[in-house]
Amino acid sequence: MFMKTFEEKWTAWVDDELSDAERAEFEASLDDRAAAAAEKHRAHKLGALLKEELQPRAMGNEEFFHLQLRNRIAAETGQPATRSAPQLRESWWTIRRLLWAGTSSLALFAVCTFFAMRHEQAPDQSQYLTQILNARVDPGVSPYATVSIFQTKQDRVTVLWVDGLKALPSEYASK
Amino acid sequence: MRRAFFYVLVGVAALMAIAQPARAGKPERRGKQVWSGLLVATNAARPRPAPAEMRRLDPTLRRTFGYNQFELIGVSRKALQNGEVNWLASSKHFSLRVDPRGVSSDGYRVNLQLFQDRQVLLETNATLSKSSPLVIRGPQIGAGQLLLLLVVQ
Repeated sequence: MFMKTFEEKWTAWVDDELSDAERAEFEASLDDRAAAAAEKHRAHKLGALLKEELQPRAMGNEEFFHLQLRNRIAAETGQPATRSAPQLRESWWTIRRLLWAGTSSLALFAVCTFFAMRHEQAPDQSQYLTQILNARVDPGVSPYATVSIFQTKQDRVTVLWVDGLKALPSEYASK
Repeated sequence: MRRAFFYVLVGVAALMAIAQPARAGKPERRGKQVWSGLLVATNAARPRPAPAEMRRLDPTLRRTFGYNQFELIGVSRKALQNGEVNWLASSKHFSLRVDPRGVSSDGYRVNLQLFQDRQVLLETNATLSKSSPLVIRGPQIGAGQLLLLLVVQ
């Protein structure tokens, strides 16, 4: 152990860090004990005051302060201030545009389907002709009747031509 | 905005509704309308115009059968129903009986019987197509000719 200087003992005494024996010895060495006690009291008072005043104060407008700070930094450095909060990027595909795009696609699909079906139908209708599979005339009624089948080029008419049927009087033309 | 969206939806629905009849060319389970007519073809100095239903076929009939006047003595427009025997065009002495035999990819299969009074004059099995009328040349009547015309509509 080395010997403490007076200043060290004084500081320890003011801070109440001396043991009972050391404190008694130190207080005995003081010339004016009352003045020392008053000095100690002032030191304690000053310490309490400093402790109270130097406490970090909570800021009520922290975000504003940060913003001001960033703006100032940006102004000094010439770079734009970056926002700390995550930034939502605005997309071109808004709900309204998505709806319009969907509806338009559906309409386009319907129109294309409509025309495709029509286009497909055209040859379908024209490729079939009425066909006579068989024809029969009662030989007991018309023994000399003959049947022939042909189709006309115009109008795609199928004709079942029966010859040799018994001729009838004009009364049979009545409605 | 909502109104415009509604109109677009209505438009799409209308287009789809229009697209449906595009299938009309194909034979369907439910029968199509069949127009049938019994005609008496004659030659006249002043021929009367053909009935409206067969005006389109008038030139072909003139050319094919050599007559210039066609008079309807019996007419019918009926939907063919499978399994149902139908009596189509009929006149005082003639009538047409149609027995649908089903639908194939190329048309309506039918059994046709042309009756003269109660007697079957002619019987035929045919496949009728929408784009192709059928004409049957019947017996001679006086100075004219009986024709039977069938058109799937």
